[in-house]
Amino acid sequence: MTNPDNGARILIIDDEPQIRKLLKVTLQAHRFDIFEASAGEEGILQASVSHPDLIVLDLGLPDISGMDVLLRIREWSSVPVIVLTAKEREEDKIAALDSGADDYVTKPFGMGELLARIRVALRHVAKSANEPVLEFGELKIDLAHRSVELHGERLKLTPTEYDLLKVLALSAGKVITQRQLLQQVWGGHHHESDSHYLRVYIGHLRKKLEEDPTRPKFIVTEPGIGYRFLSRD
Amino acid sequence: MERSRNGKHTIISKRGRSRIGEWFRRKAVFVREDEAGTSSIFSWSPYVWITALIGLLTAVLHPFGLFLDPVNIALIYLIPVLLSAAYGGIGPSFYAALLGVLAFDFFFVPPFLSFTVADLRYLISFAVFLAVAGLTGSLAARLKQQLRFSKQREAHTASLYELSRQMSAITDIHSLLANVTRKVSEMIQTQAAIYLPDEHDELRLTAASPGHSDGGQSESERMIAKWVFQHGEAAGKGSGVLRETSGFYVPLRTEDRVYGVLAIKLEKESGAIPPDTRRLLEALGGLAAIAIARLKLTEEARIAHLSAESEKLRTALLDSVSHELRTPLATIIGSATGLIEGDKLFSPEDRLELLAAIRDGALRMNRLVANLLGMVKLESGMLQLRKKWCDLEDIIGVVLAQVKDFQQHREINVKLPERVPVLLGDEVLLEQMLVNVVSNSIKYSPDYSRIAISVKADEDNVEISVADSGVGLSAADRERIFEKFYRAGRTKHIPGTGLGLAICKGIAELHGGTISAQPNVEGGTVMTIALPQNEESRRNPSLQEGRNYNDDEPG
Repeated sequence: MTNPDNGARILIIDDEPQIRKLLKVTLQAHRFDIFEASAGEEGILQASVSHPDLIVLDLGLPDISGMDVLLRIREWSSVPVIVLTAKEREEDKIAALDSGADDYVTKPFGMGELLARIRVALRHVAKSANEPVLEFGELKIDLAHRSVELHGERLKLTPTEYDLLKVLALSAGKVITQRQLLQQVWGGHHHESDSHYLRVYIGHLRKKLEEDPTRPKFIVTEPGIGYRFLSRD
Repeated sequence: MERSRNGKHTIISKRGRSRIGEWFRRKAVFVREDEAGTSSIFSWSPYVWITALIGLLTAVLHPFGLFLDPVNIALIYLIPVLLSAAYGGIGPSFYAALLGVLAFDFFFVPPFLSFTVADLRYLISFAVFLAVAGLTGSLAARLKQQLRFSKQREAHTASLYELSRQMSAITDIHSLLANVTRKVSEMIQTQAAIYLPDEHDELRLTAASPGHSDGGQSESERMIAKWVFQHGEAAGKGSGVLRETSGFYVPLRTEDRVYGVLAIKLEKESGAIPPDTRRLLEALGGLAAIAIARLKLTEEARIAHLSAESEKLRTALLDSVSHELRTPLATIIGSATGLIEGDKLFSPEDRLELLAAIRDGALRMNRLVANLLGMVKLESGMLQLRKKWCDLEDIIGVVLAQVKDFQQHREINVKLPERVPVLLGDEVLLEQMLVNVVSNSIKYSPDYSRIAISVKADEDNVEISVADSGVGLSAADRERIFEKFYRAGRTKHIPGTGLGLAICKGIAELHGGTISAQPNVEGGTVMTIALPQNEESRRNPSLQEGRNYNDDEPG
């Protein structure tokens, strides 16, 4: 597979030597440049010195928590961060995503999945946000005219449905937490319990977009966390 | 009136009558409260009545006195004596006899209107009169007393019976003891408490009747209770031991063992406890001891059962883990060492196959570990529900995505109602449960077969059914497959730990629902998860309509 991101510099912050080794070998095989850090403080230092294009950050670190590392990096850098977690704790993932992580991968993970996430995150940076039309196969979103076309036919979306779709599509490939969606679509004033309205709107959007809403092709649910707009390309 | 006198007379003995009478009046040992309530130490009214009756009799008889034989008059004077014996008791009957003799003597024995007796033979009549009066009086009084005793006993027996019936229905030791103390304090109208030994064999106040105050003497009370507990004998006021204390202590004992002590608080100035109350207390103590013994045995049986269960579980866990973990480990280690050592021997295809074996083995181990962790969390109560509104359609979508690689050529159909129900539940757990159920259906049904997921909702429940056309289950297995580590007989050859469905059951129950297996009409099994719809979801039409959150004109 040709890789447009070849040569990108990736910083791995993980205390497990075996995971680091696995990541290093595999990512290097895919022609990425790899830097490593085995602890949080060291990772922050590395991030500021080696200017990576992407960071793979383990949340469980021996000295300071991965969350702290993320927050401190976010103080001065918008470098994409993919968080590595052990599966169980949804709130950790949500907290990391809400604090500016771009994506998460759970341990144990398939290498293909991690590579795909890395590619999405890297491309997202490269892509300028000012593209007026977003295209995803048969789905076309015209941001300038606020119109959506599927199979060449214009979809009738309510303003809320459109905003929701826009926010999701602009971060295509990345997971967006429910909180982020609520914040970006409905503004700052929302409540934890409002998340069920979000579900209702996602349901409506799926009915209009998806052929089979139980087998969604565009908007997939990340259970307990949020949604991800699939960009299949 | 009569009752009050009965009260006094039946209890009174030769010594200290008024004090005991006083005690009984206030303590109301009498089973019936009305008796207790109206009784008094010494009632004048029967004597007044007798005096009035004899006065009336004398006034009526006096005009005819000279025509009647004095013997007949004497016989008429026996009537008040008999009446007072029957209704009053021994005291009033003697009084009636004495007054009768005096009246007879004064008005009817010559010389009239004088106590002087002209004919000394009358003295014999007087003596006979008094003897008859005394005898009938005491007989009647004793009869009454016996009647009262048997009534009291009957009441005691009835209350013992009632208590024993109540006790046999109680399965919790604290409510049992609370019941006993309440009952005792109701029956004896005093404060009652029960001391039981704790795990260090120290006696502790375990239950007390409402209003029981420990004030000031709890230390001495505990000391006496300890003595009673150690010696298995009653102590306190009225017994042979420690008669100076203000309480009465009964051991709760069965044939072979003392379980605790029942303590009754008495008023300072009151006297000893009467024998029948004491017997009642001892009977109550015995009853309570038997009930405690029963509960202890039940508890021991439960613990024994539990430890047997956990023993069984440990064995199952070890078997399962050793088999289920070692098999994939063997694959992984074997394939990996093969690849390392014989790098040059393998063709690219072989290499790929070995690598796939490593991946599959690791995935299988990961599933097992996840299941074991899930079970541990469920069992330890660490699994906290993070309830949110869940869209079943969404959850089913996630489940379908999860099993996509695993389902091979099986076709999974989904049938949803018009309005997909919205549930308040933990999305992640519900999804995990459904993934387990659907994976199970896939695992135990042949390739190219069909699996149908359907959702039905009524007022109270949402039912999610997963129907497969696999091998099916025997009737006995249908219940047991939800037990930990249980594998159905027909499917033992398919690898698995028997944890998945147990976890499903745990999750369903956490949500207040159930999971069950029925045979499918076309062969195979239908797994049905029934989850309760709560009030809110039914009352919240906006969830189904989704139209009232903000502006929603199509744009």
